[in-house]
Amino acid sequence: MGIDQLYQNLEKMKKLLMTLIILGLGSSALAQTYNTFEPSKTQFMLRGYGHTGFEYLDTGGEQESTFLGATFAPIFLYKHSDKLMFEAELEFELEGNELKTGLEYADVMYVLNKHMTVRAGKFLLPFGTFMERLHPAWINRLPSRPLGFGHDGIAPASDIGVELRGAFDLGGPKMNYAVYVTNGPRIKDGSEEPEEAGMLDFGYYEDVNLAKALGGRIGLLPLSDSSMEWGISAYTTNSTGAEDSDYKEVGAFLWALDLSYVKSITPLQGVVDIKAQYNSSNVDTATYYEIEDGISEPYSFDNQSSSFYTQLSYRPIMSGSDFIKQLEFVGRYSDFNAPEGAEWEEKSTQYAFGLNYWLSWRSVVKLSYQTTKMEGGHDSDGTTRTNGLFVHWAIGF
Amino acid sequence: MKTTTNFKAAIILSVMASIMVACSSNKKPIATDTATEVAGSEVDFKIEKSGAQLWGEVCNRCHIAPSPADYNDTDWETISLHMRVRANLTEEEITKIETFLKSAN
Ligand code: HEC
Repeated sequence: MGIDQLYQNLEKMKKLLMTLIILGLGSSALAQTYNTFEPSKTQFMLRGYGHTGFEYLDTGGEQESTFLGATFAPIFLYKHSDKLMFEAELEFELEGNELKTGLEYADVMYVLNKHMTVRAGKFLLPFGTFMERLHPAWINRLPSRPLGFGHDGIAPASDIGVELRGAFDLGGPKMNYAVYVTNGPRIKDGSEEPEEAGMLDFGYYEDVNLAKALGGRIGLLPLSDSSMEWGISAYTTNSTGAEDSDYKEVGAFLWALDLSYVKSITPLQGVVDIKAQYNSSNVDTATYYEIEDGISEPYSFDNQSSSFYTQLSYRPIMSGSDFIKQLEFVGRYSDFNAPEGAEWEEKSTQYAFGLNYWLSWRSVVKLSYQTTKMEGGHDSDGTTRTNGLFVHWAIGF
Repeated sequence: MKTTTNFKAAIILSVMASIMVACSSNKKPIATDTATEVAGSEVDFKIEKSGAQLWGEVCNRCHIAPSPADYNDTDWETISLHMRVRANLTEEEITKIETFLKSAN
């Protein structure tokens, strides 16, 4: 082999190598374009929660027990961009043999600037914190709601309207606010359910009049570790009756105070969580009618109600035992006062105790005992004591 | 009755409004230039919290905080916007927490 030939061969190899390198680089560049997963700005998440359980109730000596039909609440989160988002929650629940459905919320939100977001649609109201932040079964530490919330409760839970909200950093402490205008409640005039005359119906979403409800909440987190939050809320409307009714002029004013304190305390080997909320409702005095012996009798009362709850829970997360770490101990006191002289006059107090086992951060088995003493109430006179034993299993997904 | 009701409402709402206005004009009082020069990194050190620390403090307030590994980056973006609004968090808090969650999953 002459030198020339060797040189030619080397040249050929060089070309081949170059081609290979170019091909290799090119394909890896190509591969990169195909493998790089660029998340799209538009994102959709299907989430939700459900719960099921067993309940045993003893109401003044009358016992009942039942497995609870499961409830299922799918939540749809649609993020359109870094500022625009839609959220909606559907509820499915078996009530007796009927499937009850509901639209818990459906609203669109847009981040206007660093300190302000606008929401519109049907949303959970920031009247205190229980309904907006703490009621989902996987968040609530007890199987039941405190007195004053939920069915026939005095605290508004959700409504249709617009809201502005936001937060500020005060250099350690933080402050947050929310103000909203919504359709507002309707007063029950007693024509359908005489025993509920004078109650506010917050679950009636169709606007019955021109007046709107105006409300808001201010939250203050005084400590720089965000462990404590105090909140004050107010809610007012000039009219709760239909435009052409006698109750058009009946206004209402509600206010609430809330507290949350969550802190991991080393000497206690765990997390202490305190929650509390006080609600007060004042509805303008009006005349209602009760039918007695076929004669319609007018009556009136000072329409003021209030309710309060405080809850203490403790999770020994620093325990050496994997089993004990997942446990949680809960105690809650709540009371409810409905106006004297109303058909639904009531004074109730309730104690609830619970032992929870956390399977994950959003799945919990709750065992609880609850005892309620009720004086009055629209189903009965005198004092009724109800004791209940609950086992619930909640899961968020 | 009605007038007292409205009066009370007006008082409470105007107190709320004035607190809001007061706070919105309250610029984040972190180290002005002079303070930075004087106290330097000490001030920054005291005020600047890491995303991980904020996650531990903030995300436990209502429910047990999820760990970074519970969701992928795409989901964390959706969740962060959702929680920013629902929990009324400050932009600083949520930006830092989101960055931490996405870096540690
Ligand atoms: C002020 C109370 C509050 C705080 C603080 C809070 N959350 Fe939530 N979080 C909620 C509520 C309420 C829900 C349930 C929303 C629903 O089901 O309607 C929720 C739901 C979630 C979910 C389920 C998915 C979703 O978006 O609904 C995740 C994940 C979550 N939170 C993560 C976080 C993280 C991370 C933080 C810290 C930045 C945080 N949360 C702080 C109240 C809070």
